[in-house]
Amino acid sequence: MLRMSKLAKTYRTDTIKTRALCPFDLEVKQGEFVAVVGPSGSGKTTFLNITGLLETASEGEYWLDGLEVSTLRDKAKSKLRNEKIGFIFQSFNLIPELNIYDNVEMPLRYRKLSTAQRKQRVEEALEQVGLVSRQKHFPAQLSGGQQQRVAIARALAGSPAFLLADEPTGNLDSKMADGVMSLLKEINKQGTTIIMVTHDLDQATQASRIIEVKDGVISEVEHCAQEIA
Amino acid sequence: MITYYTKLAFLSLWKTRYMSLLAVIVIAVGIAATMTTYTINHMMTKDPLPSKSDSVFLVRLNNWSPEAAYRNRNEENPPIYMSVQDAVNLINHNEAQAHIPIAGFKDMLKLPEQSAVDAKMTFVRSSTTDFFSSFEVPFLYGSSWPKSSDDSGEQVVVISKKLNAELFDGQNSVGRVVQLGEHQYTVVGVLDDWAILPRFYGESMRAFKAPRDIFIPFQTQLNLELWSSNVQAFECWKDPENASVKALWASECVWVFFWVQLNNELEKQEYMDFLQSYVEQQKALGRFQRPTLNKLQSPTEYLKERRAFSTDSEIAVWLSICFFALCLLNAMSIIMTKFQGKAGEVALRRAVGASSLDLVHQYTIETGAIGLFGGILGLVFTQICLFLSSQLYTHLSKDIMTMSGELMASTVLLSILSSLVFGMFPIVKAINVQPATQLKSL
Repeated sequence: MLRMSKLAKTYRTDTIKTRALCPFDLEVKQGEFVAVVGPSGSGKTTFLNITGLLETASEGEYWLDGLEVSTLRDKAKSKLRNEKIGFIFQSFNLIPELNIYDNVEMPLRYRKLSTAQRKQRVEEALEQVGLVSRQKHFPAQLSGGQQQRVAIARALAGSPAFLLADEPTGNLDSKMADGVMSLLKEINKQGTTIIMVTHDLDQATQASRIIEVKDGVISEVEHCAQEIA
Repeated sequence: MITYYTKLAFLSLWKTRYMSLLAVIVIAVGIAATMTTYTINHMMTKDPLPSKSDSVFLVRLNNWSPEAAYRNRNEENPPIYMSVQDAVNLINHNEAQAHIPIAGFKDMLKLPEQSAVDAKMTFVRSSTTDFFSSFEVPFLYGSSWPKSSDDSGEQVVVISKKLNAELFDGQNSVGRVVQLGEHQYTVVGVLDDWAILPRFYGESMRAFKAPRDIFIPFQTQLNLELWSSNVQAFECWKDPENASVKALWASECVWVFFWVQLNNELEKQEYMDFLQSYVEQQKALGRFQRPTLNKLQSPTEYLKERRAFSTDSEIAVWLSICFFALCLLNAMSIIMTKFQGKAGEVALRRAVGASSLDLVHQYTIETGAIGLFGGILGLVFTQICLFLSSQLYTHLSKDIMTMSGELMASTVLLSILSSLVFGMFPIVKAINVQPATQLKSL
């Protein structure tokens, strides 16, 4: 479903060349829950951005659902992001002047769906995160945990094949974080592939697979949930 | 999507309302400066009679002293007006489609039943019935006098809507009588609103004044010997035989503007031939001792030659356009600042699937809305500026300071288009943010 071959990322300025990700190979199968761990500045987010087509790799090949995406043009990448990828961010990234319904509806607006189709999908996504009754509220009227659930609903509304989560519980207290993790696991159980960047080893161990990024080097971590626990 | 983008545009305008308002005001000020000067310049220089600009001509004959050219110019040019006898002769020859002498005088006007103290000094225009048809003058009540009134010099008048309102409370006054000086005249027609700008048919220095309020047949003025030397410009190369008005009428003094209507090139050529034969005929009688220089001049040519429009107004338009460009640059920097605050939203929208084009559409509607509001506010400012100008320049017709519906629509359109053009750079800059960095910084 997702295959990266000899993928690497280098940032260049006039004088400096910085290797953010060393060449790596990776394959993620449908339905996997992959945790990406590593210290700050190790390249986790760069990896996630390349995976989410927000950045382009400097070298290598990236196949998404059988399609080589590294050479796609902006419009095609936007379409892929819209149809196949859902993003969840640490800081929720909700638009404060839009209500919950409008926030969740946002990706569907770029998919040329009818009003009725959009309404149905938004309500289903909000129901999935337990916030269907709050659709007329604004983000500022919700708690941090609820806001992140709205962000998850927004990611789910487009029924993506992938969910890319960048430290989704980073801004939440432990109780809310547990709630969000349970929700992600539930979504994963329903068949959505999740790639989650996290600092939290406890959360990482809840994933089916762990990838470590350290100094730009990506490596697989063998783990057994029971042993670590 | 347009509804969605419009909703987003208005939410964004509200969110950044002070900055948006500033951009709107800056555009409005630029628009007002440009459109005020443009309106005045446009009204001053527009074709006064578009439907007949190719068929109405001022007749100029070189009737002047044998000793020196008219006004002693190196390049000889015939006078702009002619003597009464030539005007009458040309009317009598009846060689054109219409003959429109332009003369006038001033006198005290009142209703017969009013006392002398109620009389008001009024400027009177004298012409023929052709004046109204050739210059497309609209009537509210009645019509112009018949041709027979021109021939006999009947005491009839056509009055303006304004004068009709003053004398007759706006009622249909056809058949009523007014008193001009010692003579009584019957009202045969009341004009509707009529603003001919520039008022080309008379003195060019009065081209931007409103038409007179009362019109009588030219022949009536001649018959009744009505003359006001301090109203009508006149030039004489030879003194009249005596000081009487009758002697002035018979003299070589020139003061009657004479317009004709000639509907096509053939008629124009035929009329030129006629003028040639007329002048030769007059030469045989001992008149017209200077070289023959007959001219048929269109309203625009006449106004241009007489320098009725100052080039200052054109320069003012260019300066105001420069000022508008500066305002737009300021508005552009405000919009750029506004859009810089949207980097996070742009990144998010890109992440959820919006293409660059989607975002260009969204923000184009927002800048277009700023332009629309700037245009509407600019229109209000323009109206205020034009009103203030009309109060300041009371010697000019108020119609110069009036915007047509077309100009109003153009104002708003200009504002929208210029905002879109100048807003494009901020839009391109805004959507070129790196989503990855912006999402992390949120």
